[in-house]
Amino acid sequence: MFGQVLATEFRKLHHSKAPWATLAVLGLMPLGIALFMWIVREPGRAAELGLLGTKANLAGLEATWPEYFYMLTLIIGVGGMLLLAFIVAYLFGREYRDATAKNMLALPVARHWFALAKLAVAAAWWMALVVIVLIEALGIGLAMGLPGFSAALAGTGIANVFLAAVISFLLAPVISWIAVWSRGEVAPIAFSLVMLALGNLFGRTGWAEWFPYSIVPLLIGVVADPVDSLPAASYVVLTGTFAVGIAATLLQLRFADNAQ
Amino acid sequence: MPDTAVSTRALVKRYRDVTAVDSLDLDVRRGEIYGFLGRNGAGKTTTIRMVLGLIRPSSGDIAVLGRRIRPGETKVFSKIGFLVETATAYPNLTVRENLDIQRRLTSSPPRAVADSIGLLRLDAYADRRAGQLSLGNKQRLALARALLHSPELLVLDEPANGLDPAGIVEIRELLRSLADERGVTVFMSSHILAEIAHLADRIGIVHDGRLIEESSRDELAAKARAFATEAYTPEEREQALLTLDLERYFLARTGDRPVSGSSSTAGDA
Repeated sequence: MFGQVLATEFRKLHHSKAPWATLAVLGLMPLGIALFMWIVREPGRAAELGLLGTKANLAGLEATWPEYFYMLTLIIGVGGMLLLAFIVAYLFGREYRDATAKNMLALPVARHWFALAKLAVAAAWWMALVVIVLIEALGIGLAMGLPGFSAALAGTGIANVFLAAVISFLLAPVISWIAVWSRGEVAPIAFSLVMLALGNLFGRTGWAEWFPYSIVPLLIGVVADPVDSLPAASYVVLTGTFAVGIAATLLQLRFADNAQ
Repeated sequence: MPDTAVSTRALVKRYRDVTAVDSLDLDVRRGEIYGFLGRNGAGKTTTIRMVLGLIRPSSGDIAVLGRRIRPGETKVFSKIGFLVETATAYPNLTVRENLDIQRRLTSSPPRAVADSIGLLRLDAYADRRAGQLSLGNKQRLALARALLHSPELLVLDEPANGLDPAGIVEIRELLRSLADERGVTVFMSSHILAEIAHLADRIGIVHDGRLIEESSRDELAAKARAFATEAYTPEEREQALLTLDLERYFLARTGDRPVSGSSSTAGDA
């Protein structure tokens, strides 16, 4: 039955603009990074064109491959948490916005299959975005002729991007729970915005490895120097968050009132 | 096989201080059309939501087609078609795509989509997105979805919502034929007296969450006639007859059936 439910969940995206919108948003990011890199590399020409030369220099950026991968990981990690929240909120919350949840929940299909299928669609959607944007970013970086490229660096950079993407996804089931609990799309997105802010805050208190939403910033080095590898505690916290999120979503769908 | 399709015992639903459904004992017999009549806010939709497992009762029991409705129950829903409150569908998908989702999830054969489109006269709209349909056609789509898997029980909440007079008559006849020819049980709610009076075999009147009266249509009609004789003015009776006349004339003029008492067809009328 899971296969049928998964197929119908993909079918529900047919003609939808949401996947294209997320691709457009994330796809613009490497172009933005490239623009900053170009401004840093050509500050005189950037100033002539009235671009953000001064601010870019103040940011302490270098137009190199290591810096480029750092920025890419930052976007996939931190920006991805927000974009994934939108994706998950859309997949779960639209059923309540369009009042189709009631049609879905009184079918001869166990409700957990719907939740798991939606999370599988979110994972596929998110990974497709990450792969497309990674290919785009590599193409742009090579076209710009940034210095410092090596196979080892590319391997590490790509691995970090995927690690950030996977960590972001581990937080997705909590968003799905908020969506089914609140029966809509606004609360989960608001929740993820608050968590991003809290993640930044906790990261500075030294508890970053214990707070799920601080772990990606910890990995990337947003709040401190980037770590070479995450502490084991962080993996336990992330796995626990993933499991609790899934359990909460399934229990909410099974036992709570689910009318619009 | 139990002879009741829907049975509730001491059913209660409370929302904080509000009791939406209060000690409801209800029996819908197999093969009948049961009209669940009540004002807005009487508890009709809440009862239907509980019957479909969408919300949990505060207390009491529900059995549908012999199976107790409790969290996790799914098997019985293969035998139930339903329409709750507003007719909804995935707006970005076409009528056909919406029905195909229902077909897959109810493990119905591929031809079921075309059959239900034909049954609800949605052929002209089959490839139109649901979000672009009129309210009446959305209602038809919701009914097509409810009927797609040939259910034994239809649970319909205000099925005439959004339909024009011709559509109302058409759906009324469809439900009657499903009950008479296929033995489908219909449990339908409405606040429109005429709908229930036309269609239901038995009628339950719910008020403030309680079932305050339950009778066959004939019994209720007799009571209503006795009451109406005392309570209605001649003008009110005239108005009621005019409404019936207008309905028949409208149907004739819009091509659904010949004008009664003459040989002229709708187009000629």
